Amino acid sequence: MQSRFYASLLLISALILLAFVSYAGLRELNPEWKTYQKEYKRLFFNNAVTPDMKKKAAEYTVGIRQIYIKDLNRVDRCDNCHVGVENPLMAKEKVPYRQHSGTYLKDHPVTKFGCTICHLGQGNATNKKEAHAEGHDTYWDYPILPLKHIQSSCTQCHNMDFLSKHGADVIIEGEKLFNEKGCKGCHKLSGNGGVLGKALDGVGSQPIHYFPMRYVEGERTQPSWLKQHFEDPRKVVPESVMKVKLTPEEADKLTTYILSIRTYDPPKIYRRINEEPIVAKDGHALYNMYCVACHEDGKLSAFDENLKGTIPAIENPAFLMNADDRFIEMVVKEGRKGTPMTSWQLSSAGLTDEEIKKIVSYVALQRGHESSKPVSVNLKTGDKDAGKEIFNVRCALCHGEKGQGGLGLNLANQIIKKADDQYLFKTIRDGRATTPMPPFGSTGLGLTDQQIVNVISYIKAF
Amino acid sequence: MSSTGEKTEIGRRDFLGVSAIVAGAIAMLSVVAGALRLTKSNVYYEQSQKFKIGRPENFPAGTKVKLDEKKVFIFSENSGLYAISSICTHLGCIVSQTDSGFLCPCHGSRYDGIGNVVGGPAPRALPWLEISLHEDGNLVVDASKEVKSGTMFLI
Ligand code: FES
Repeated sequence: MQSRFYASLLLISALILLAFVSYAGLRELNPEWKTYQKEYKRLFFNNAVTPDMKKKAAEYTVGIRQIYIKDLNRVDRCDNCHVGVENPLMAKEKVPYRQHSGTYLKDHPVTKFGCTICHLGQGNATNKKEAHAEGHDTYWDYPILPLKHIQSSCTQCHNMDFLSKHGADVIIEGEKLFNEKGCKGCHKLSGNGGVLGKALDGVGSQPIHYFPMRYVEGERTQPSWLKQHFEDPRKVVPESVMKVKLTPEEADKLTTYILSIRTYDPPKIYRRINEEPIVAKDGHALYNMYCVACHEDGKLSAFDENLKGTIPAIENPAFLMNADDRFIEMVVKEGRKGTPMTSWQLSSAGLTDEEIKKIVSYVALQRGHESSKPVSVNLKTGDKDAGKEIFNVRCALCHGEKGQGGLGLNLANQIIKKADDQYLFKTIRDGRATTPMPPFGSTGLGLTDQQIVNVISYIKAF
Repeated sequence: MSSTGEKTEIGRRDFLGVSAIVAGAIAMLSVVAGALRLTKSNVYYEQSQKFKIGRPENFPAGTKVKLDEKKVFIFSENSGLYAISSICTHLGCIVSQTDSGFLCPCHGSRYDGIGNVVGGPAPRALPWLEISLHEDGNLVVDASKEVKSGTMFLI
């Protein structure tokens, strides 16, 4: 009885083992690519017209293939499934049998470039899921690049000038958006740009794990993250203070551009980059590049929920009337501590003095012709304590008890300490038209000149 | 009656045991076969020896080109195309072309116009390589496939 029991147990386990082994064996003998290659052979034969081609098709052998490129240190096995990429007879078939589109392969022979240098993905893999590697579960850093972003790969070897002449419109427009939406106001790239956001050098070759994918919809890949982040920054990164929101079309183009900012350079023999002429940008372009993200057109002063502060209207004529170029230049150079305003000088955000001057003159274009009459302010006569009393009643509500800012601007910083007394005096006296700052002078809320001087002495002592 | 009954009983148990052992053995053998299969690799980490050299139109009769990177000479004559390796059969230096054939700069091996040795230490003629036509219309040279000297590729 017992031996029978053991015999049955042995038989059952042997059968289970056999089932597993045959399953594994069948899978090994019939990989995904074999099906494609067999179908390719059939299509090739059917599409061939000349006897020579028919013969070629008949001679086609099904078997594993690979493109090994020593100089690029790449092994691409994509052609096991994408069998027809080099076969013009496959021009009308569907993917993966179809011939490669365009004339790209003419200038980029497969034997020299392979596939993943442009398309990314896991070249070594021999099945679709792992080769395309879309998502964390395939353990590959660089998933296949969606075709709409494919131009981001061109910059590895070509410069923008070349690309603009050869129809790479997506990346060109992406770069334009990058320059005009003020991305560098918060993000450093190649040594200059603001510091509120992450530096962007090499962001295009960051592995998939660099991006927090938790809130990303659809495929959790770098392009998805970037695109959704441009459409709605806080959906993807809840704590983001990024202001810019793009339309889906714009987001696609900008994503292409951002993906092109890579660290990995192909060997020199592959690169076709000649030094791009550095075109000096004018004040307007610089303003768009560095300032526009926060200040927009500079006409409205508004409280920003995400930055938790008011962004001053720097194009406000009332401000420009009182602030001279020297003062604005100082603010741009030194920034405003305690606010998101970065110090833009060469040693921090990386702008040259000349560029800052250009930005200042661009901003100053809005200044009216009549400048306000000079007033003489003697701070020595100021009474700090009297100033404090007035400040606490009249100013603290917006500017904060300690001048830390709130609805109003932050006053407790170096710039205010260094600011011209006349400028502060006029600002308090005349207020700032189009902003919540009212005129406090005798014609407005009724402070005397002496009281204003007292307040200034107090502010300067923060 | 009872003895035959016992016999079948034993027979069935035998059958059970035998088939279990056979099934187990087959499974184990397949596993071993699978493991052995792994020792032979499908592909190797090496650059493909096949390369495209361009369309036939680019090689009108009379063309002689040396492809330095690929270490091969391509000749085109009225009777067809042929490719001769430029790797000296002595110790592997790259031969250069002379009026009368090829000359190796390293130890002075000399070859005639179709690669046969005429002097020096080279042990054998420069190999002729296979030329074929790719379906995209380009000529392909396969440096890993030698053909008989004198084999022409007809366009
Ligand atoms: S290697 Fe050419 S002669 Fe020695």
